[in-house]
Amino acid sequence: MKVGLFIPCYINQLYPQVGIATIELLEKLNVEVVYPSQQTCCGQPMANSGYEYESVGAYNNFVNNFKDFDYIVTPSGSCAYHVKKHYDIIPQTEEVVAVRKNVYELCDFILNVLKRKDLGAAFPYKVGVHKSCHGLRGLRLGSCSEVVEEKYSYIEELLNEVKGTEIMPLKRADECCGFGGTFAVTEEAVSVKMGKDKIKDHLESGVEVITATDTSCLMHLEGLVNRNNQPLKVLHIAEILNSNISSKN
Amino acid sequence: MSHPNLASIFNKDEKRVDWHDKALWFVRHKRDRSVHNVKGWESLRELGHGIKAHTLSNIDNYLIQFEVNALNNGVQVHWAANAEEHNQIVHKILKKNNAKKVVKSKSMLTEECHLNPYLEADGIEVIDTDLGERIVQLAKEPPSHVVLPAIHKDRHQVDELFQEHLGTEPCDGDPQYLTAEARKHLREKFIQADVAITGVNFAVAETGGFVVCTNEGNADMGAHLAPVHIACMGVEKIIPKQEHLGVFLRLLARSATGQPITTYSSHFKKPRKGAKMHIVIVDNGRSEQLSRPDFRASLHCIRCGACMNTCPIYRRSGGHSYDYTIPGPIGSILSPGKDLKKYSTLPFASTLCGSCSDVCPVKIDIHSQLYKWRQIITKNTPQPFIKKKSMKVMGQIFAKPSQFEKIGKVARWSLRNLPKSFINSKPNAWGKARDLPKGPKQSFDDWHKQREDNKLKNK
Amino acid sequence: MANRDTILASLKANKPKLIDLPFIDAAVFDEQLDLAAEFTKILEVVGGNVVAVSNDDEIASHLQNSFSELPIKYSTIDESYGSIDLETIANPKDLENLDVLVLESTIAVAENGAIWLADKNLPIRVLPFITKHLAIIISKKDIVPYMHQAYTKLNNTESDDYGVFISGPSKTADIEQSLVIGAHGALSLTVYLKG
Repeated sequence: MKVGLFIPCYINQLYPQVGIATIELLEKLNVEVVYPSQQTCCGQPMANSGYEYESVGAYNNFVNNFKDFDYIVTPSGSCAYHVKKHYDIIPQTEEVVAVRKNVYELCDFILNVLKRKDLGAAFPYKVGVHKSCHGLRGLRLGSCSEVVEEKYSYIEELLNEVKGTEIMPLKRADECCGFGGTFAVTEEAVSVKMGKDKIKDHLESGVEVITATDTSCLMHLEGLVNRNNQPLKVLHIAEILNSNISSKN
Repeated sequence: MSHPNLASIFNKDEKRVDWHDKALWFVRHKRDRSVHNVKGWESLRELGHGIKAHTLSNIDNYLIQFEVNALNNGVQVHWAANAEEHNQIVHKILKKNNAKKVVKSKSMLTEECHLNPYLEADGIEVIDTDLGERIVQLAKEPPSHVVLPAIHKDRHQVDELFQEHLGTEPCDGDPQYLTAEARKHLREKFIQADVAITGVNFAVAETGGFVVCTNEGNADMGAHLAPVHIACMGVEKIIPKQEHLGVFLRLLARSATGQPITTYSSHFKKPRKGAKMHIVIVDNGRSEQLSRPDFRASLHCIRCGACMNTCPIYRRSGGHSYDYTIPGPIGSILSPGKDLKKYSTLPFASTLCGSCSDVCPVKIDIHSQLYKWRQIITKNTPQPFIKKKSMKVMGQIFAKPSQFEKIGKVARWSLRNLPKSFINSKPNAWGKARDLPKGPKQSFDDWHKQREDNKLKNK
Repeated sequence: MANRDTILASLKANKPKLIDLPFIDAAVFDEQLDLAAEFTKILEVVGGNVVAVSNDDEIASHLQNSFSELPIKYSTIDESYGSIDLETIANPKDLENLDVLVLESTIAVAENGAIWLADKNLPIRVLPFITKHLAIIISKKDIVPYMHQAYTKLNNTESDDYGVFISGPSKTADIEQSLVIGAHGALSLTVYLKG
């Protein structure tokens, strides 16, 4: 099984620890991971801003880097979704079709391809799960409250097996955090309000650490938490699943 | 004004935003409780979608069939290509019947056509009879929601409005008292009305009849008392058969308010003895929207308002921030088809979270259409130079790995070394309320390269 | 006519290729409801009052006890109950002071508490809206599970010139989402469930 690792641009530059946790975790699970060094970005930032045509170069670069892998794994539901849903504007060669089909968000890959659940992690904290929208309603990594279906959640299935972790319930389990790419700056007022409300929900539930499948949401929430000196930490799910902390102190 | 501007004004009063958000989230919550109790709900949505898609693919024939049947039922049928014609037709019917007093039940179409000011200019009194509509009419505001027109007003504001316009006693916003007073006030209007105007929720080709849904009973009070009933409908309200009502009436109220059905679902077919009935069928941009394959499904909309209630942006920016007859996510995919430039910020008033598409009872892919409108807007309307340029540069950086690495290094250095006051200064909207991440010394690329190098060395 | 033809022509030109009409398979939704129990439960949730009765005398005595102080009444079932003669009503507006109206229906829906009233049950259309209190008599055997079956039943009978599904008394929540019973239509709904 040839697995290529895609590290989203902002994780590469701003949150390398998430990429490191991802690669270490996959290696722990005996996956031989290749990190193609010529990768950049899935192209989403331009496309969601209405400049899809400016992202064609990024799309082609992505396909060139990942066309030879059986699976492409990424610690981002949003990027995986973008490749799957929006790479329809470039010619649908065999390679493009294969890349779109084989791209997986990390939890999805571990649970449904590797068929692993208990990863031997320990993380003794109260955790609030932020269900990032593109993963949830795009990739269907879990059931969402709008749809009448059986309840499931890949990220929670994995977290449930983490020693010491307590998943805290939220009042609004799957409302958007307000990041939304350039939305965060073009609609600054609403974006910030959404983030504040989200954090409030977590704080009121006694959450110590917010986690998600997407660092982009977490960057937005962390920005607010840090500005307002709130007693919360944010960690990507890969960082928790790669932890082995036996006690709080 | 653009959506971001109006939204930031709305957000100046955070308590009010919280109140508005909670009121609508409560409605969304009621919707959830209701639909999760319906066996086969998702199949029902699938049917709603399928029936609408089929109908649009044969819409001209269904409208012809509807017209034939309506005429046979003794109903007069009129066709209006646009808002102006719609208003003229209605006006003409009023003139012919010497009508001076009109009662109207809720109709987003007549809002869209700005019928009230048109008729009022000729001295005709038009009274909106839905309580929420009456409230916004007294306040001289447009509705801020398709089902809950006055959701942006609190009880105290209604209290004050009624004191001023209806002469009610101060009541500390008691909804029971205010509703009872409205009932009295509007009862008089119903009794005096020369003509009743209603909207249409569904028009049935097979029977030539149409269905109007209300909770208050105002459509029926108007239509059964006045000697003339005018029903105004967009072309997309047509459905093929009566049995299809079984699908849509199951979907509509549950999605709208969580009720199992509206209190009244009235099926009009023939005028009552001695009375007249007219139907005005309106295009006003709908056939043009039908021509756009990516956007025609927006015409499936049954105006339940569920996408508004679920939208985290709508709840925190208010219906008026959209500055369009139909606000919220559905309005944001309908409005660009009407005026691309004027409504160019609406498809961007979304995080593309997709909740709207998942609550939609007729499965309109609202968030995908928002994304598609964005692509069209950037190409066809003037965009800020800086946005256009930065997207181009970003596109080039991401297309060439070598450049990406260089730029990344500079960005991380800046985040680490420039003072916070500079990074979060005014031009950076991110930094107004949020900190930026601390730029790490090493990117993941750097770390990985180092690791690979060490591996080689250790071999 | 010019408008009509232009509109139809442009719809025809702009519509997509014919898409199949889906078939409604009502079995998908069936959950074997206890019809009378479900109907009663839902109607009470939407603000109606359900009274189970075994004969007409029980209806008469319940009506007597409930609305004894109200003078203006009309019943399509029992002429002796009424205090007004509809023949004398020249204009529906003259019904403005009607206190109590008693009607009969032959279709009710369990899933949403809706009751079908049509021209044949309604001497004057505005009656169930203009009355202050509405009472409807329905037999248990006439309750269908879902709207699908209600329309099947309607399709099998002669089409009505006007008909309405009524579920509960009139209501509004337009003032701050506070539910208030009694908007423009009836202030109360009592359903007598026979059999």
